[in-house]
Amino acid sequence: MDGPSPVPAGPTDAGRALHLALAVGVAAYGWWAVGLAPFSAQATAAVVLAGAAAMAVGSRQRQSRRSPDDVDASGMAPWAGLAALAGAWQLAAYLQHPRADHPTASSLANELLDSHPARTAGFLVWIAAAWWLSRR
Amino acid sequence: MSRSVTLLGYAVLVVSAAGLEVAARRRGSATFVDALTIVLRSRAPRLVLLAAWLWLGWHLFVRVDWQ
Repeated sequence: MDGPSPVPAGPTDAGRALHLALAVGVAAYGWWAVGLAPFSAQATAAVVLAGAAAMAVGSRQRQSRRSPDDVDASGMAPWAGLAALAGAWQLAAYLQHPRADHPTASSLANELLDSHPARTAGFLVWIAAAWWLSRR
Repeated sequence: MSRSVTLLGYAVLVVSAAGLEVAARRRGSATFVDALTIVLRSRAPRLVLLAAWLWLGWHLFVRVDWQ
């Protein structure tokens, strides 16, 4: 007589609202954090603690640990080689001056992140990547 | 001139990474995410990489007077 019970919409809506509130809260935090005085202890705490918190959440959500042997490691060598090349290129740029002629990755990033909205977006990407990396 | 050469180097690295990713997907070998996952499953490299990521955030968002 009774058909299949409908999927309750309440928890889904509540979950969406929670995610939205979380996203707005993190964005507001990012806006505030990148506006703090540079080189200050307050800015250091705001950035490092946010990154550490994102990593803590990601680590808790980490998928079941598999041994490294469970992942096909073939083809790792080219990535290692490319990482070494990137490191060497970055080091070569860092050791030469002036910086305008030999930009490092971070000096290029700073050219891109030269406004409050851009820095906030960069900060949010960094936070999301911290969470994503720690879930691996 | 030097700036152009430096930027060209970064561009070559990005294009090479994209080429490696495409080749890895075609061959079924380790993609960028696979390689990262393998590295992150060992304790010491995981700690080093996550610490380096924290340092990068501090370097980009604290150590720059952009205003």
